[in-house]
Amino acid sequence: MNKLLLLFAFVMVFFNAGAQNRFFTKDAKINFNSSTPLEDIIAESNQATTFIDIEKNEVAFSVLTTSFKFRRALMEEHFNENYMESSKFPKAKFTGKILSPIDWKSEKAVIVDVKGELAMHGATKEVTFKATITPGKSKVTATAELKVTPEDFKITIPSAVRDKIAKEVTIKIDAVYAPYQQ
Amino acid sequence: MIGIVVGSAGVYYVFNMPHRNISKENAVYTLEAKQLISDFKSDEAVATKKYLDQAILVKGEIKSVRTLDNHSMVFSLEDEMEGVSCTVDSADVVSNSSKLSQFVKGSTGTFKGRCSGMLMDIQVINCVPE
Repeated sequence: MNKLLLLFAFVMVFFNAGAQNRFFTKDAKINFNSSTPLEDIIAESNQATTFIDIEKNEVAFSVLTTSFKFRRALMEEHFNENYMESSKFPKAKFTGKILSPIDWKSEKAVIVDVKGELAMHGATKEVTFKATITPGKSKVTATAELKVTPEDFKITIPSAVRDKIAKEVTIKIDAVYAPYQQ
Repeated sequence: MIGIVVGSAGVYYVFNMPHRNISKENAVYTLEAKQLISDFKSDEAVATKKYLDQAILVKGEIKSVRTLDNHSMVFSLEDEMEGVSCTVDSADVVSNSSKLSQFVKGSTGTFKGRCSGMLMDIQVINCVPE
């Protein structure tokens, strides 16, 4: 009888450990805007993969740089070939932590601080930004906005076009996470 | 004078050049999704070099079908998490709707698209069904 109880306790612990602490999506939206009065430069990818671990308050993003779509094919070509060098550095990644306390059971939107490392084009830089997270049992949504400087990631922009591209690029993230079942 | 006209037409064309139309390109590689997965799993760097930005024709069992909020569709071949994800843009969803309606979970699908590399899954974008 004791053994059975022990087994039962073990099973309970096991299932609890397997309780939902990771949320994920493969279809997160990332867009960036480096427009200037001289040129509209907007690109978007719908294919970012991202995880949130609600136990550790950790968040991770990754996106393939060739999945960004531009209005002009020429811009897309320049982005991949000259600036991001996508064949050499095919991915951009972010891993970080949610610094502000968050009640994952609340289902109420909260604004939090996120800090972590953004890696692209062979360079890594620490970034902090604000994100709005709406927790939920079956769905977590998150939006965030951050600004980066191309030069911080060793992306050199020829002086002839430097005035056409914003000094600071605004990156916007929009993700709807589902529970991650493995 | 003619030089100026031709030159400016050239500049205009390059500036406004159309996006790649994968559906009109011949596939550089034709292969099973399983082969593509094993190529990427055995050496991601080598596979990325080989397949990145190439037009490929890939065939496999459809494990999931999703429609994104921008109306593009994603078909996961062989494995939902770590398989091959073929994305069909919304305009191509409309023009290939009858073919795509047969591509249900459990059936075999063939897509031509542009390989953009691997995250958890291998991504093939700008896909059209074959």
